[in-house]
Amino acid sequence: MSGGPMAIVKPEMKSYIWLETADGSIQEVEEEVAMFCPVICRELLQNGKGSSKNCAISLPERVNPANLELILEFCRFHQVPGRSNKERKKHDEKFVRLDTKTLCDLASAADSLQLRPVVDLTSRALARVIEGKTPEEIRETFHLPDDLTEEEKLEPLRNMTDDPRIRLLNRLYARKRKELYDRKKLKNVDAEEEPRVDERSVDDLLSFINSGDQDSKGVRVTKNKKKSRGRKEQARNLSSNNEAGNYNKESNCHTSGCLNGDTNDGSSPSRNSKLQNSPSAMFSSKLDLDDFDIDDELDPARKEEIDREVEDFARRLDSVWPERIQQILSLGQETRRLRPISMNGNGSMKRCTAGVDLG
Amino acid sequence: MSTLAPHFRTVMVNSLPLEVLEHIFSDITSDKDRNSISLVCKSWYEAERCCRKSVFIGNCYAVSPSILIRRFPDLRSVTIKGKPHFADFDLVPEGWGAYFYPWAVSMAKAYPFLEEIRLKRMVVCDESLELISKSFKNFRVLVLQSCEGFTTDGLAAIAANCRNLRELDLGESEVEDLSGHWLSHFPDSCTSLVSLNIACLASEVSFSALERLVARSPHLRTLRLNRAVSIEKLPKLLRHASKLVEFGTGSYSADMQADVSEVFVNVSQAFSGCNQLKGLSGFWDAVPAYFPTIYPVHSKLTSLNLSYATIQIPDLGKLIGNCLNLQRLWVLDYIEDSGLEEIANTCKELQELRVFPSDPFAPGPNVSLTEQGLVAVSMGCPKLQSVLYFCRQMTNDALGTIARNRPNMIRFRLCIIEPRTPDYLTLEPLDTGFGAIVQHCKELRRLSLSGLLTDRVFEYIGVHAKKLEMLSLAFAGDSDLGLHYVLSGCESLRKLEIRDCPFGDEALLANAAKLETMRSLWMSNCSVSFEACKLLAQKLPGLNVEVIDERGHPDTRPESCPVEKLYIYRTVSGRRFDTPGFVWIIDEDAASTPYSNGNCSLASS
Repeated sequence: MSGGPMAIVKPEMKSYIWLETADGSIQEVEEEVAMFCPVICRELLQNGKGSSKNCAISLPERVNPANLELILEFCRFHQVPGRSNKERKKHDEKFVRLDTKTLCDLASAADSLQLRPVVDLTSRALARVIEGKTPEEIRETFHLPDDLTEEEKLEPLRNMTDDPRIRLLNRLYARKRKELYDRKKLKNVDAEEEPRVDERSVDDLLSFINSGDQDSKGVRVTKNKKKSRGRKEQARNLSSNNEAGNYNKESNCHTSGCLNGDTNDGSSPSRNSKLQNSPSAMFSSKLDLDDFDIDDELDPARKEEIDREVEDFARRLDSVWPERIQQILSLGQETRRLRPISMNGNGSMKRCTAGVDLG
Repeated sequence: MSTLAPHFRTVMVNSLPLEVLEHIFSDITSDKDRNSISLVCKSWYEAERCCRKSVFIGNCYAVSPSILIRRFPDLRSVTIKGKPHFADFDLVPEGWGAYFYPWAVSMAKAYPFLEEIRLKRMVVCDESLELISKSFKNFRVLVLQSCEGFTTDGLAAIAANCRNLRELDLGESEVEDLSGHWLSHFPDSCTSLVSLNIACLASEVSFSALERLVARSPHLRTLRLNRAVSIEKLPKLLRHASKLVEFGTGSYSADMQADVSEVFVNVSQAFSGCNQLKGLSGFWDAVPAYFPTIYPVHSKLTSLNLSYATIQIPDLGKLIGNCLNLQRLWVLDYIEDSGLEEIANTCKELQELRVFPSDPFAPGPNVSLTEQGLVAVSMGCPKLQSVLYFCRQMTNDALGTIARNRPNMIRFRLCIIEPRTPDYLTLEPLDTGFGAIVQHCKELRRLSLSGLLTDRVFEYIGVHAKKLEMLSLAFAGDSDLGLHYVLSGCESLRKLEIRDCPFGDEALLANAAKLETMRSLWMSNCSVSFEACKLLAQKLPGLNVEVIDERGHPDTRPESCPVEKLYIYRTVSGRRFDTPGFVWIIDEDAASTPYSNGNCSLASS
């Protein structure tokens, strides 16, 4: 709106005032509308500003032309007397049908102008946006960083099979195991027999848990591909306590996952025959089959992308890990939380990765 | 440049002013959402914890008072649960723990503005009550559900000192009744009461004090009397409390001397004055002759608790038959199949049904209540979603019918009184019946099993019950496979309580990691060895493994010997130090000190 240097009294006898936003742009607004904002009101009445373009009221920096327009639209509607409550409510409901970013922006601007009704409206709308979402979803919606450390997460542990970090780690371990497997294959002329019968007693298994050596067992697990497709989904959902635990050399804590993974070889171990009767899927590690298959199904471009991701991940892991181990060993019992990939209730997995500060 | 530079810098949290963020959070109250918010990022964690007003602690030993206070500096409402659910069946020996006092002491210092305390299955002493009454100026709500350890002296302190008390609910607590005069300690200036539940008190309260209290409480909406208040006294109270929404009568029969017809008329009139009444309970010693007194209100009732009323069909049926809007019904098995069929025809709004046994120790059925009653209700009541049913016989067919009729079932607790009772028609286990339940009722959150059950039923549960949060088992299963199915399949499982089942070490150890995703596991009279307990404690530092064994030192028995009772729960506050002599908490470095038995001190951790 162009206007002269003096306040213009339009034919309808409305008076206008001048507002300036932080970016320097100035606009002319009906006085009665703008007065709806306490801050503007104060500036006009107490400090006598806004009567001309030269002494336009400088608005707080959180107010920009876009959200100012919305705010003025709100004020314009509500300052008209005689509207029913129902009308006003209906208007407000429509008014806040905005995307999240605009809502935040608007809330911020309204707050700086002390326009309580708009702050309330936008806050409530944002509360509805947040409700029902997972932390990850909220982070995505509001573009927030994932920067919490483990100790701040007193949250109950969940089955986190969908956590991208876990998936990445899984791929990493899958690759390492595949490497090992391939290397072994080359070494041994007879490929390792798929063990038919697990003759170990519970004592043996328990002592296995207590021992430190996992490699060979871990490899054995990957050989089992006897998983029916139908069960795959189900297995995915089970707490995949086998995954990284199978392959973590550093860990001196052994997962029951090993017990799981190892008793599942498609056949009936004597002692654990009852356990074995369960669909093999229940015991088989999601890792063994999935991560081989996943990669095979992908198109090369995606495969390359994933490869890069995993390499990057591995590099970061390697760079921080030795230091981390030192820390953990020196702190001992006190920081039991920081124990590396201990039990693979995926929560622990989360602990580990969070502790490693992967961002 | 803005001429409106604030006098102090507005704290911005990722482009939102902190005040606005807190304002947004104030509109988000569900615990789940608050938890989600706190896990988003550092700044939101900080903002959330500073403005959190209400906290729910499902297990008092999962966190300590100091951790709570450190994280949440400004709480107004705290809810804490103590003993495990099986304590209700006397399976948790007395003295086990769940003391409220350490919490009271810490919160008294840290939360001067605390307004509400809700406790369930905790041991609350008079000192705690006194502390509450004197430390919180704005204290408003005290709920003690199934608690114990306090006397009417403690209640007197609450009455005397809590000037703005709105709610005093003694739930089903065990109170040492020293004197009925505690009620008189409510000062004349106390007019804020909204809810008063003293149903659990054994002896007589001073009736005149009660009457005066009710008379000066214009906001009273819930009043539950104890048995000692006989029916002829009701009109005096109801006259002053015409806006009651929930009312629990006392004994529903009159003194010998009373004029029956006069009482009848007075009570009927009194009820007709209460036109907002939605819920009724109490009815001890109920006499059918007095039932018509309820007729003025019974068509508006949404909740009816007749579980203390030993009346039988047909009077019982007549009473309930006109309660068209009933949503919640608790009743004794005197209702019989015929009564339930009537309910199925008339109470179309019914959501929750609980049928309790009138004589659980009778050798055979004393009433004609069978699976048919439950089937009828499941067919006739489309909104039925919560069931607790005690009976003596069941069939797979009946369960299947119930399941298919009511896929909206959320809570299903079936208690066939005699353990290991098979399908009485086919003599088979009830596996397929319960299997049908979990298969059709996809929203099922709570399940209690009974009857003859093999590992099969657990396979069904593990495969289908994906939303199941709480599972109660007794005398069920054949082997570890059963437990394994449950632990590996039920993704949403939070609480698992087991008694007298043949589950041992294998399934537990194989699924050890699962335990960290649950609130707690209770196993009593199963086959878990002490050795396995030690192993679990070693491998899962985030858990407390409690061995409850009244036979003495676990060391006096071989390690492979099964423990009496086992209670495992996750915690962030480490082991507790208030354990009695029969509880052994296994430390993580079980190699050096395999277990330790803390002193019975009440110091806060």
